[in-house]
Amino acid sequence: MKRFDCLKAIAPHFQDELVVTNLGGVRHEWYAARPHPGNYHLQNLGLTSSVGLGLALALPHRNVVVFDGDGSLLLNLGSLATIANQHPRNFIYIVFDNSCYESSRGAPTATAGLTDLAAIARGAGFANAISTQNVEEFEAGFLQALKNSDLHFILAKVEPGAGKVPPAPLDSVENKYSFVRYIEKTEKIEILVSPPSRASEIQEK
Amino acid sequence: MQPKIAIEIVNSLKEAGIDFVATLTEANLHNLVMALEKDPAIHHVPVTREEEGVGICAGAYLGGKRPAIVMMNAGFLLSSNALATVCIQPGIPILMLIGHSGGMGEENPSHATIGMLTEPVLQALQIMYERVGHVEEIRPAIQEAQTLARSSRRPTALLLVKEALR
Repeated sequence: MKRFDCLKAIAPHFQDELVVTNLGGVRHEWYAARPHPGNYHLQNLGLTSSVGLGLALALPHRNVVVFDGDGSLLLNLGSLATIANQHPRNFIYIVFDNSCYESSRGAPTATAGLTDLAAIARGAGFANAISTQNVEEFEAGFLQALKNSDLHFILAKVEPGAGKVPPAPLDSVENKYSFVRYIEKTEKIEILVSPPSRASEIQEK
Repeated sequence: MQPKIAIEIVNSLKEAGIDFVATLTEANLHNLVMALEKDPAIHHVPVTREEEGVGICAGAYLGGKRPAIVMMNAGFLLSSNALATVCIQPGIPILMLIGHSGGMGEENPSHATIGMLTEPVLQALQIMYERVGHVEEIRPAIQEAQTLARSSRRPTALLLVKEALR
């Protein structure tokens, strides 16, 4: 199966879910499938799962969905232990496993050998960790995760290759501001602080 | 770290509005980590590697928390890429409390090297920092470092030197 087909299959099921993507091709595909102010396109490999965890812990009433890759997760396997022990019930961690460093010209990752990331997730403490081989299984697994309202790890075994989509146009600073403003608006909280005006001090003299 | 310093740090963090702390423990940080774990006003996330904590804090900030990370300077050096790409580039503040091993009197050679590299790397990353040792310095330093982090939308750091850690 192809990653973009997986994304297109689940995109219609999204409502106000927050999404974190990694630096790889998945961010462009997801932007094409579901452009939304609740998408955060991380400019980093390895910390996608951790940024998703922080977001899920901060907003326990919002679903957080992370799209990561095998190479990225392999950089930060310890995060699986932290996530499992924190156990945010609003967190769905999806890993598209193409068994190669696709954005780095395709050298094989450890999952091209003996490594099974779903088994590692189970060992780290994920009670719900599945491996899916086709789009129907993947979509069903995602819907089950949404319905269960519990921490889930979903591995999607995909073939290498990116969907034919334009590059996501968001600059990372712009993305940060638009995401934070969206959270401020929908959660009715203040995240960005502005200094008070000093003009009133002059008038009072 | 003496328990009274640990308590002073926890109270100062809360007074500065910090409500979320990632930690990676070390012998000198043990009392602080345990005090954070016990405090119901702080969501404490023990991490497996310091850069993971940087990512978790960044995500928590995006969700409206006011995060800090507690780690040793070895962990700070490990976190350089995370700080650059996840925090500094998009503009995400994190208050960092960094235990500073190395420096005058250090007996462990690897700690001595880490100690020598810590401030130059903070400077190279253009992270504003202060060295903090005495108990009376802690409260204003934490307040001011957090104010600067939020206004500048960048990480700031306090180096907890041996007077604070002992």
